[in-house]
Amino acid sequence: MGLKGQAAIVGAAQYKPEKYATAPRMFHLEQVADLAARALQDAGLKASDLDGLVINGPQFHEASVFVPAMAAEYLGMRLNFAEVVDLGGTTSVGMIWRAAAAIELGLCQAVLCVLPARMAPFGPEEDPAWMARAMRFGGHSTAFGAPEAEFDLPYGHMGQNTGYAMIAQRYAARYGYDPAAMAKIAVDQRTNALTNPDAMFFGKPLTAEEVLGSKMVADPLHVLEIVMPVAGGAAVIVASKEVAARARNRPAFVTGFGEHLAFKSPSYAAEMTETPIGPASRRAFEMAGLKPGDVDAAQIYDCYTITVLLTLEDAGFCEKGEGMRFVREHDLTWRGNFPMNTHGGQLSFGQAGSAGGMSQVIEAFTQLAGRSGDRQLKRCDRVYVSGTGGVMSEQGALILQGA
Amino acid sequence: MSMNKPMPAPTEISAPFWNALKEGVLRIPHCNACGHWIFYPRRHCDRCFSHDVEWRDVSGAGQLYSYTVARIPTLPDFADEMPQKLAVVELDEGVRINTTLVGLDEAEIRIGMRVKPVFDKVRADGATLLRFTAAEKDFPARVDSTPEALAAEAEAKVAAEIAATSVRQVRFDDEAAMKSLVSDVFTPWSTQVVVDQALIDEFAKLSGDDYWIHTDPERAARQSPFGGTIAHGALVQILQSRLKMPLGFEVTGFNNMVNYGSDRLRFPSPVPAGSRIHARARVKSVEKLAKGMQLTLEVTTHVVGNERPSVINDLVILYM
Repeated sequence: MGLKGQAAIVGAAQYKPEKYATAPRMFHLEQVADLAARALQDAGLKASDLDGLVINGPQFHEASVFVPAMAAEYLGMRLNFAEVVDLGGTTSVGMIWRAAAAIELGLCQAVLCVLPARMAPFGPEEDPAWMARAMRFGGHSTAFGAPEAEFDLPYGHMGQNTGYAMIAQRYAARYGYDPAAMAKIAVDQRTNALTNPDAMFFGKPLTAEEVLGSKMVADPLHVLEIVMPVAGGAAVIVASKEVAARARNRPAFVTGFGEHLAFKSPSYAAEMTETPIGPASRRAFEMAGLKPGDVDAAQIYDCYTITVLLTLEDAGFCEKGEGMRFVREHDLTWRGNFPMNTHGGQLSFGQAGSAGGMSQVIEAFTQLAGRSGDRQLKRCDRVYVSGTGGVMSEQGALILQGA
Repeated sequence: MSMNKPMPAPTEISAPFWNALKEGVLRIPHCNACGHWIFYPRRHCDRCFSHDVEWRDVSGAGQLYSYTVARIPTLPDFADEMPQKLAVVELDEGVRINTTLVGLDEAEIRIGMRVKPVFDKVRADGATLLRFTAAEKDFPARVDSTPEALAAEAEAKVAAEIAATSVRQVRFDDEAAMKSLVSDVFTPWSTQVVVDQALIDEFAKLSGDDYWIHTDPERAARQSPFGGTIAHGALVQILQSRLKMPLGFEVTGFNNMVNYGSDRLRFPSPVPAGSRIHARARVKSVEKLAKGMQLTLEVTTHVVGNERPSVINDLVILYM
């Protein structure tokens, strides 16, 4: 069952994260074309090599339906495979395996996976107030008949912070809680970001005291345990073995993946502290024929510190309930004995909407290709990548391997 | 509660649940095929997909599955509930419900504690939300938190405070005594006024400022960044006259008192229609002039629960 490892990431491009207020405004179609050109250049491939497209459906500025066709027309692509992915923060991971699967099925040879995440120019009817209105309920549906509009929003259950906070609180009640270990996740990742000039928090060291002294947003989560939304965008090219052979970089073969989801609000999980990344990761490791201990690095989706903690446990890097001890006992930096989020993670790199998760995919690819500069791992042949959407409600895992 | 807070819009599927809440009853669907209880309401069973589902009344007894205390409002409109005690309750029937906790101090909350329902009327038409409190707590099963009821509650509380506060009499021409009133500390909160749409409409008519963001709730719901209409800053400013404040002093002995205007007037944050407002004040300065004694009273008017004032007014009063 599963992938044979015949498709690989061969090129990538990513906008440097920037504050929304000062980032360039570009139409999403324009960003897609720009990111595609940059990713092709990175891969050393030509536009005519591309025959597949995976793109975000939600939050695409110029269309809400027929997005792939519009993008194909705008870019000038002829596609044998096209798909939108609507999986929040795990969209990136979901795009990569869908592209790899389509290639292994023989549908296509090179797929552009792309997530524009800079703001588009304001139209005549659009202004900052329009933005504020559009953002008022974040990722929540206010449509008539939407369960969350009826049963969550009237109580103030909205946004991501409080959902993650409730998961953390329940975790604390079941297994205990060490705020210092949670802070260490953010601090070790910041150490990584200090080697990454593209990171939002490059040049800004961080201490555990600062994390624990930062504003409490929703118990037990401090503001420095929560990602900063930024403008950005990313593209990755997944290609067949044959195309990969003539690409410029060491390919990162997709040898395993898994995906799992069952709810939008974690209140309806069978047990909210046992997250979908468990089944997703088990499948990914099994498909790749590896165990968690076999990987050289883990790029773990980190919208919050608690997301990292639960992923470490549920993906099998440590036993359930042992995550805090694991964090205390390991150096999570690029120099350490468990290199994790070596680009700084989204906590220090910045979260560019659903492209945020692509930063983890791209870091895995860059490390495997030996192109990570100061933070390059000495040995990097196998990397685990996770994605998390919603409030740990939709999650995915990838295993990427160097040839 | 502000009228701009999101409110449930019952559907044909869910109406029996919301109607029962108005009666103080918790009614949820039950699957006759497999015995599973269902929440939120659906026409099918989310375990076996059977449509043989019927409504049944349950006690509402359960346990606290998880919770958090939000220190920043999840939406500005929830400022009057700060800090928000957001919770997930698991009923004894096994279903989970997103809710908030009431009648509990933060220190009393623990995961796994037994809880019971509180039926909270939040709108004059009877719309009721399902909240929870600790099972052993002596707390009413039905409460009224319509803005009018909450304002009336505050009125009684402030009236009692004012009655219990000794009022210091200060002669207007006693410069030392007048200057001793100057303080960095604000008075306790005043009584409350509900700034409802009717009041806003009256002010729009009176002032001629009938901009849609104040007067057109439908358009404002679609286009206003605040999710609905907001009051005119000037309206909120003058409503100060309606707010009774425990000042703690009374200036005496003068022949005439003149409202000399304002040294500073700012409207830093909006007042959504339906909000309750209250104010507090401090004597900012006292100055002896040739004409008489000039006192500057800094009055800040806030939406209840909002730390950020909606109006800052440095009111200048001249006693002669």
